[in-house]
Amino acid sequence: MVSEKPDVVIVGAGAAGLMLAARLAEGGQSVTVLEAGPERKLSDLTSSQIWARKLKWSEPAVSESGDHKIGHAFNAGSGTGGSAIHHYGVWLRMHEGDFSLKRDHGLGLDWPLNYADLAPHYDRVQTEVGLSGDADQERWRPKGAPYPMPPLPLFAQSRVLAQGFEKTGRHTSPLPLAINSQPYQGRRSCQYDGWCDAGCPIGALGNPLVVWLPRALAAGVRLEHGARVSRVIRSANNAQHMESVEYLRDGERKTLRADRIIIAAFAVQSVRILQSSATEQHVAPGNHSDKLGRYLMTHPAATVFGLFDEETYPHQGVSAGQLLNHDDYDKKNASGGFGSSQWMIGHAIKPHDLLGYGTGRPDISGAELEPWLKRAARHLGNMTLVCEDIAAHENRITLSDRLDSDGIPYAHTHHDLDPAAAARWTQRMSEGADIMRAAGASEVWSGPRIGMHILGGAVMGNDPAQSVTDAFGRVHDTDNLYIAGTALFPSSGAVNPTFTLTALASRQADHLLGKS
Amino acid sequence: MASTLITASYLIMGERLTLTPAEAAELKFTPEVLTHAELGAIEAVAEHLVPGAAEAGIAPYLDAQLRAGKHSLLIGKYLGVDISTQTGFYRSLASNLQQALQTGSSTSAVVSALWSDTQPDWEGPPASYMLFVLRADALDVTYGTPEGFENLGIPYMAHIMPEQPW
Repeated sequence: MVSEKPDVVIVGAGAAGLMLAARLAEGGQSVTVLEAGPERKLSDLTSSQIWARKLKWSEPAVSESGDHKIGHAFNAGSGTGGSAIHHYGVWLRMHEGDFSLKRDHGLGLDWPLNYADLAPHYDRVQTEVGLSGDADQERWRPKGAPYPMPPLPLFAQSRVLAQGFEKTGRHTSPLPLAINSQPYQGRRSCQYDGWCDAGCPIGALGNPLVVWLPRALAAGVRLEHGARVSRVIRSANNAQHMESVEYLRDGERKTLRADRIIIAAFAVQSVRILQSSATEQHVAPGNHSDKLGRYLMTHPAATVFGLFDEETYPHQGVSAGQLLNHDDYDKKNASGGFGSSQWMIGHAIKPHDLLGYGTGRPDISGAELEPWLKRAARHLGNMTLVCEDIAAHENRITLSDRLDSDGIPYAHTHHDLDPAAAARWTQRMSEGADIMRAAGASEVWSGPRIGMHILGGAVMGNDPAQSVTDAFGRVHDTDNLYIAGTALFPSSGAVNPTFTLTALASRQADHLLGKS
Repeated sequence: MASTLITASYLIMGERLTLTPAEAAELKFTPEVLTHAELGAIEAVAEHLVPGAAEAGIAPYLDAQLRAGKHSLLIGKYLGVDISTQTGFYRSLASNLQQALQTGSSTSAVVSALWSDTQPDWEGPPASYMLFVLRADALDVTYGTPEGFENLGIPYMAHIMPEQPW
């Protein structure tokens, strides 16, 4: 069945997809968004780490291999809002040096743009979303407008941990967050109860449900849920032109034509859709140089924990943490490895679930467990290290031989961590333990290294032989197919990516509306 | 059927009732995915790891979540146990535990051997990994609820209180 033809079809109702939908529709374009997952409403965001698992990826599995897996099931989401519905709201700008890794250090890839190109979009987006922070205290922050809201208050845990940074000659600043420290644009301020991972139903955290979706719907965007896109289809008359997308909904195979097609289905699924679009006559869009799916990245990250004599009440605050340290961020070439790193300090934390303090201590069981949990519930401190990944050609997303019940191939990811990045992670984790002890922790331990965030796979670049899209996300060998989201990132930096992917989408929207 | 309804209902003497896992355990629910014997072995080890897990309903919780298929809320989906393989994972765990517990060794001795991956004749994924997943499940059902938080002295402070049965 062929539906009416919108100007733009966007695949994926996450942070990038809904942002583009809102902007393009407000600019006069007719827009349809196809979302594979179910409809999500604020009333679905139950305060439970167990119920929160409903928000994570639950479509056909993504198989993973390598010595540092990307953790797709934890990092990805499905349904309205995508993974951003359960993101923690850490909105940090990439640093200037993150855009020129190969030029400056001979490693990884360069972006086809620089910080100055994104700066106006960072500034604009932070006003639209609403960020809380203190730009002056972020001595490492690239140039940009101050935050529209003051920072969130500090709770006991962060005041204790800050002493460790101070005693070791380091600095902290309030963590900049897309969480309201005061009422903002009709949305409530935060209650500091630490349920961000389960999704914020009060609108204090600027997820796509409260920021972009209302604007998109008001501007006439049509949103279909349960619409799993299988492939994009080339025009029979013009090989550079993508004519339509094919998708499955309620067991029925459908086709939707559009003048422009934007794939914003998070890194793995965006690549899976393009790879599934190869035909006997044509390689997959963007894969003429065998770059589609390559340069997959994930931040190597881990949490350091400590137990203190002081009462820290670690249930208070927000999941993201309260303080930030970027002292070593720009020292990519410092001895002991390679790459930027950051500390997010003082997470509100629960006793169970993947990141819970009870889960992370399998050595404590039986009769000792409950007394230990009770102590941790009042005296625990924790902070998370995020390190830079280095884009590698061998780290990639491919199609699996396995098909789901609808005949759609599963995706497979392979990711090994570069030894230099791994060495940096080891070095910083050791420093983290020292910081925790300096703060007064009597017992210090750390969680395992995990993959945090998923980036790359359809990287942007100036050279069509070395990249998948141009600087505006247009797939090189097409005239109307675009990628949006973290799949475009040629480097990872060591910051959480939602601010940058949204700024990139803002730049894309201006381009598509003829404003740049 | 919504996931809530799938995982909230248990067979009690042939009648399907909406219950919490703790209530289902107390009322001697009828398993629908795993067997009594399989769940018994799992429950014994879970209780050893996380005291209170049996009363909190680890056995009915696991059985109901496995019945939920793609709606399963088990933590295994984060830990590399793909939802489509979860039933096989727990069946394998139960089989291994049944065999280990039948050797006459104490539960404590068996658990020690599992953590160190030295349990003889263990088949499938490493014992320490399977035990880690089971311990996380036991923490979920014992402490991941408003009642569990209260036991630890943590104010739950829900925006939206979770439905209780899962």
